[in-house]
Amino acid sequence: MSGIIEVENLSFGYTRAPPIADGRGRARVLKDISFEVMPGTFLTIAGPNGAGKTTLLNLLCGLLMPQAGSIKIDAEHIESYSTKKLAQKVAVVRQEFVPVFDFTVSEMVSMARTPYLPAFGFEGKADEKIVAEALEMTDTAQFALRPLASLSGGERQRVFIARALAQNTSILLLDEPTSFLDLKHQVGIYDLLKKMQLEKDKTIVAITHDINLAAQYCDETLLLGADGSYRHGCTKNVFSTEQIEKVFGVRIFTAEVGQEKFFIPLGKFAKDSGQIDGKLPGNRQG
Amino acid sequence: MVMGLCSLVGTQRISLKKVFAGPGEAPGQNIDYEIFVGVRLPRVILAALVGAALACSGVILQAILRNPLADPYILGISSGAGLGVIAAVLSGVTWRFWGGSPIAIFAFAGALVTVWLVWCIGRFAGKSQVTSLLLAGVVVNAFFSAVIMFLISIAKSEQLRSTVLWLMGSITEKDSSVLWFSTGCILTGMVGLFSISHKLNVLTFGEEEAKGLGVDTAKTKVVAFGFAAFITAIAVSLSGLIGFVGLIVPHGVRLVFGPDHRQLLPVSAIIGGAFLVIADTLARIIISPAQLPVGVITAIAGGPFFLVLLAKYTRKVSWLK
Repeated sequence: MSGIIEVENLSFGYTRAPPIADGRGRARVLKDISFEVMPGTFLTIAGPNGAGKTTLLNLLCGLLMPQAGSIKIDAEHIESYSTKKLAQKVAVVRQEFVPVFDFTVSEMVSMARTPYLPAFGFEGKADEKIVAEALEMTDTAQFALRPLASLSGGERQRVFIARALAQNTSILLLDEPTSFLDLKHQVGIYDLLKKMQLEKDKTIVAITHDINLAAQYCDETLLLGADGSYRHGCTKNVFSTEQIEKVFGVRIFTAEVGQEKFFIPLGKFAKDSGQIDGKLPGNRQG
Repeated sequence: MVMGLCSLVGTQRISLKKVFAGPGEAPGQNIDYEIFVGVRLPRVILAALVGAALACSGVILQAILRNPLADPYILGISSGAGLGVIAAVLSGVTWRFWGGSPIAIFAFAGALVTVWLVWCIGRFAGKSQVTSLLLAGVVVNAFFSAVIMFLISIAKSEQLRSTVLWLMGSITEKDSSVLWFSTGCILTGMVGLFSISHKLNVLTFGEEEAKGLGVDTAKTKVVAFGFAAFITAIAVSLSGLIGFVGLIVPHGVRLVFGPDHRQLLPVSAIIGGAFLVIADTLARIIISPAQLPVGVITAIAGGPFFLVLLAKYTRKVSWLK
């Protein structure tokens, strides 16, 4: 079986600095990256700010085109897809935004059917069924008729995931799906994603800043470094204390509970920094 | 219905009974019928047409520029078309092209150039700036108005009064061939826009989201802007600069029917038509027997409305920051 996403020797750089991200205008963001994602895998992309995580996501959904190397989706080059065809293969959940006009939740989720509609398009019975299922699965059916702006952050994120689900794609890309959420909702979103992976056989690629959540939920990890280095593999192998300290440039306290490892970053002025360092077992000498 | 009622109202009283009696045997025998069919009806159709076109154009501009305050008049697209019209009238060109008068073609060219300008400025201004796009519209408007004034001041005096009245936005009787040609153009434009209305929904979320949902954004924007400029140009060439229809009507419709463009667009067209028919009827009777330019009515209604919306949306944006 070959991968549903195949990335080979991919390189990408901005000729101009992106307007918001950072003003340094790096020549290369991604250097010679290769990896493969098998169908039904939950992959997380981690790394410090500016390592090119969002750039990679934008490349995978066809918003940016590779400058060198290739990306294949379902064994076909990404350039050969039309926008419409690609949207039937790949769904994207971006970082949260508030729409200009007051669409309701069910209208939002229905828009996932856009890539399947002809000109003068209206959703048919089949589309409505898919939308209803997506609302059901993400537990958003209860506020289907409310305007999106009236929902809380966690609810809104679930609506966007419902939309991605209704798009009926085999691949789902997410850009920091939990960034503005409290602990309960962070876990809720990851549970939902895991459920979609297991029940709907989705291939999920999510950018995350929370390495501990990623370690608990994701099968594979792609760790991007700010210097252009990268590591890809089974999450357990990629996330080691040494790797994380090196890539993120911060001291890490590692708590081991049975087989699991938890990584806690230690700042210079953190209250218990010294105590933890000295007293607790299972910690390396930093 | 509104069209029917309003065509009965006017300086000259006419009775419905006499209208239905049909034309008399000799011309001049049934004056009521002649006024109704020859004067009132075409005028009401014209008003409905122009209202529908402007309202649709407003819907499109608001969707694509992602700015709830966009309107062909406020953004200067109407003045762009108006400049085209005045240039055509004053230069005295008379050639025809595919049955279209040079006036309509000049208007279309003017509208297209302005749309392009506004689009560029909109991209330059960035996403969250509701007001900077409006300021750009003010500048574009002021510039075109200056050129129009310059052209008018060098024009011959006999053209002056009618041109000035036309500029203020007035619906006057046209001969039927112009009316039919314009009806065809505007209906074509509206059908074209309706065919992409499901994509417009997605476009209101911005380029990235729309592409993620399979919409070829560049193509859709060109088509939408093209048709919007086209129907605006036709409307302007018929009736001059009528403001705020494209602002008031979509907002009202959105409040009742929601923002789904597959409903918003056709309903706005109908309501926009009715709105302008009523406004034009008011314009005919307020200082009867003289007539007001209908643009005066819509501006008096629309100005305060615009201020309320501006206050609402600028506050919304500052919350987001």
